[in-house]
Amino acid sequence: MALKQVSSNKCFGGLQKVFEHDSVELNCKMKFAVYLPPQAETGKCPAVYWLSGLTCTEQNFISKSGYHQAASEHGLVVIAPDTSPRGCSIKGEDESWDFGTGAGFYVDATEEPWKTNYRMYSYVTEELPQLINANFPVDPQRMSIFGHSMGGHGALICALKNPGKYKSVSAFAPICNPVLCPWGKKAFSGYLGTDQSKWKPYDATHLVKSYPGSQLDILIDQGKDDQFLSDGQLLPDNFIAACTEKKIPVVFRLQEGYDHSYYFISTFIADHIRHHAKYLNA
Amino acid sequence: MEEEAGEEPRLGRSAPPKDFRFYHMDLYDSEDRLQIFPEENTRMRREVVQPEMTSEPRGAGEGRAQRDLQEEVDELVHLYGLEDDHELGDEFVDDNMPIIGVSEYPPYAMKRRDQAREQRDWRFGGEAVEAEDMGYGEWGPVGQCQDLREAYRYTHGRSSEEYECYVIPEEEDEEEAVDVFCVTCKIPVRAIEKDFEEHKEHEVIPLNKALENAKEEIHKNMYKLEKQIIEMENFASHLEEVFITVEENFGRQEQNFESHYNEILETLAQKYEEKIQTLGEKKKEKLEALYEQLVSCGENLDTCKELMETIEEVCHEEKVDFIKDAVAMADRLGKFLKTKTDVEISAQPDFEDQTLDFSDVEQLMGSINTMLAPSAPVINPQAPNSATGSSVRVCWSLYSDDTVESYQLSYRPVQDSSPGKDQAEFTMTVKETYCSVTNLVPNTQYEFWVTAQNRAGLSPSSERAVYLTAPSPPMIRSKEIRSCEEAAVICWESGSLNPVDSYTLELTQAEMPGASGVTESVVGIPTCEALVQLQPRQSYMIFVRALNVGGPSARSEPATVHTTGSYFHLDEDTCHPWLTISEDGFTVLRSERKTPAREPPPGKTRFTRCVAVMGNLIPFRGRHYWEVEVNERLDYTVGVAFEDVPKQEDLGANCLSWCMRHTFASSRHKYEFLHNGTTPDIRITVFPQKIGVLLDYENSRLSFFNVDTSQHLYTFSCQLHRFVHPCFSLEKPGRLKIHNGIPMPNHVTFY
Repeated sequence: MALKQVSSNKCFGGLQKVFEHDSVELNCKMKFAVYLPPQAETGKCPAVYWLSGLTCTEQNFISKSGYHQAASEHGLVVIAPDTSPRGCSIKGEDESWDFGTGAGFYVDATEEPWKTNYRMYSYVTEELPQLINANFPVDPQRMSIFGHSMGGHGALICALKNPGKYKSVSAFAPICNPVLCPWGKKAFSGYLGTDQSKWKPYDATHLVKSYPGSQLDILIDQGKDDQFLSDGQLLPDNFIAACTEKKIPVVFRLQEGYDHSYYFISTFIADHIRHHAKYLNA
Repeated sequence: MEEEAGEEPRLGRSAPPKDFRFYHMDLYDSEDRLQIFPEENTRMRREVVQPEMTSEPRGAGEGRAQRDLQEEVDELVHLYGLEDDHELGDEFVDDNMPIIGVSEYPPYAMKRRDQAREQRDWRFGGEAVEAEDMGYGEWGPVGQCQDLREAYRYTHGRSSEEYECYVIPEEEDEEEAVDVFCVTCKIPVRAIEKDFEEHKEHEVIPLNKALENAKEEIHKNMYKLEKQIIEMENFASHLEEVFITVEENFGRQEQNFESHYNEILETLAQKYEEKIQTLGEKKKEKLEALYEQLVSCGENLDTCKELMETIEEVCHEEKVDFIKDAVAMADRLGKFLKTKTDVEISAQPDFEDQTLDFSDVEQLMGSINTMLAPSAPVINPQAPNSATGSSVRVCWSLYSDDTVESYQLSYRPVQDSSPGKDQAEFTMTVKETYCSVTNLVPNTQYEFWVTAQNRAGLSPSSERAVYLTAPSPPMIRSKEIRSCEEAAVICWESGSLNPVDSYTLELTQAEMPGASGVTESVVGIPTCEALVQLQPRQSYMIFVRALNVGGPSARSEPATVHTTGSYFHLDEDTCHPWLTISEDGFTVLRSERKTPAREPPPGKTRFTRCVAVMGNLIPFRGRHYWEVEVNERLDYTVGVAFEDVPKQEDLGANCLSWCMRHTFASSRHKYEFLHNGTTPDIRITVFPQKIGVLLDYENSRLSFFNVDTSQHLYTFSCQLHRFVHPCFSLEKPGRLKIHNGIPMPNHVTFY
């Protein structure tokens, strides 16, 4: 579990670092980014995990979202892992941008040839937090999760599958109901097989229906001009309907004129950081 | 000192001058200080007391001496009443001097001995001084100070001699160096002598040590003496002051007497002149009258004689002639006899009873022993803060020469409105030069004037001074108190009809009973309303006082302010007619009744279109938080608006209001966050039962929360250049309940 520092840059009084390590769950070298706010020099800080979307690496978020200022102000350690195992030489992993490399979908694959490496769910919920807790000044009791698109889906399912583990969750344009959208169908059938009943445990809208009701405040921002929204990839309405029925508090903000890009993310990233800080620093 | 003492050879010679130095002889040589040494003082006291006691039996006789003064004067006046006044005047003054002298000096002498006794028997004291004849009993008005000094120099001289005597024994013969001191015999001896002769068994100590002990002892005594000297000096200067005061007082009394006696004598002389003149005139008048009568009497007599002669002649005439003449004669005689012969004395020879009127002189005489009637006192203007709501403290002063027995203080309320109608006047008699006049009406002007009075009469009235009573305490309008976490607006009723100068607001933190709340004051408040900054989450007791020139009123009844959350009231003037506000003021109800045919006419204050009411939030640019309890099927709008928001428009429809609106239609909930008619597209999955509203002027934000889930719903960024007020509207029948005084939840601080 040795960490290898790849880069370190000072940012808003803190340090934006990238590390490389050998992942047990994923059986490959993995990179992740971690931002250590100024407060981390003197004490343990809460940790927020950011899950990126399709095709992204750890770099997109740290270089494009502009979250540092808010994280620095609220004293949050922000961890951004990669989106899939890399360099595993699995046949077909680089064939399409929405499956394989850069498209791990935060599931533990059960199908060959993916099940050895594509265990992103366990990686982001178990291995990575343990690594972070062991190597950085973070408070293991205070963590939250958020993400974008596929990562928004990942954040939602991580939170909904582990009641109480995360203090709060938020998402930008998440894939809310993957079992019903083309991306989800493709990925889930590839990683989990054709038995759709095995997909539901990785579907946020389905998970809500069995969620035990522990306090969870969900903030979702969605660009109204998001192409994937109109393409039916994201399906937030299904999720909202489910949450309304189960009385799970969601604030869903349909942002006029915004698309699916990091421009949209950077516009509202501070709101999300504050949303987490409110629960992590309460 | 120790170093010098160690040098034995020089000790013998140098000791006396060294020791002398310690006595500070320069102090005693000063003639300007009237020092009295303790021994001298006690001795003197003894001497004085003795004759005092012996004079006791003669007390009655001495006491009479004072009464004699009065009688003597009366006697003199009667005696000299019809004699030469000038002589009397001179004599009078001369006689008077020694009499005064008797009473002038004894108090001085007494003071020196025993101040406490002075009042009791100063007359005996006077006698005692004469009896003891200590050299100052005979002091005249002039040069008495010199005499005093001489007397002290006398005592001082003696004391310094005594000290010299005390020192001299130490000055031993210096032939042989003495080196030890025999404690038993208290003499220095040579070490060799110690072993035999009479000091053999005696305790001896080294001479140096003996010397040091002796010096130490002397120093101690010196210190005591110096202290005593200072005390006595102070005492002496005090005596000098008393001396001067007594001298001045009696001098003034002398002048007083002199002018009085002169006045009396002048009056007497004038009376004498008048009397003499009157007598002379009377005399002349009487004599003239008598003389006239005498003359006319003589004339009558001549006429009678002539008639007799003529008749006699007629009798000797011839018959014919006789008859002729007799008839004529009888006629003439008859005529003459008819004329009255006045034999009454026109002027009474006896002296008319002349009563001499000495009443005015008597009055003057009486006034010698009393005093002049006082001059008009000077009434002071009102001192600041000297009045209460029902009383003022009036002060005045008299001229120092006046003797006043009492003052008549009069007053009446000043009333501009009805000058024709005389206000009741009140008068009271007081002994002091001040008076607290009570039972007055608050915040009212009164006119005061004062006259002084003594046996001789009443002074003219002083000028009139206007005093003002303090206002009555204001009454805090507790129900209208508005507050937030950092401030409160307090308003009150003046409680006075007339205007007051300002108000003072006092506040005490009520939370800590042990800490005996420090009271802070806000002063100079011109109106009946004040905004005070406070500490968050505390309880305060607030009092208000009204102030005018006279002073502050009593405290108002207290009002309590809790700086927890915000506290405001709904403004009924803005309330749409379809809404009713509950008795407690915090529940807004739109009843199910059928809506009236037409809407009320548009107005500036009252909402006419949207069925709304506005709250009256404290105008403070801090953070405000309140909560609204709603029903999830209710159509409502909550938010803030400027006071001048168009009342005929919906809330949120313009740029003067920011609101959250909920509409429930066909089992769908719609939440809008409206400003200027637009709203973001926001969906909420859990419908709030209670909405928290956070208004933050500092960050120009207005945020809404679901209180039960702590969920943040929306935040407006709004430029609040002016103050806004909470507003509430019900688009359908139902009710809203406003919760005030709610502590701001922690999570809202993130927005």
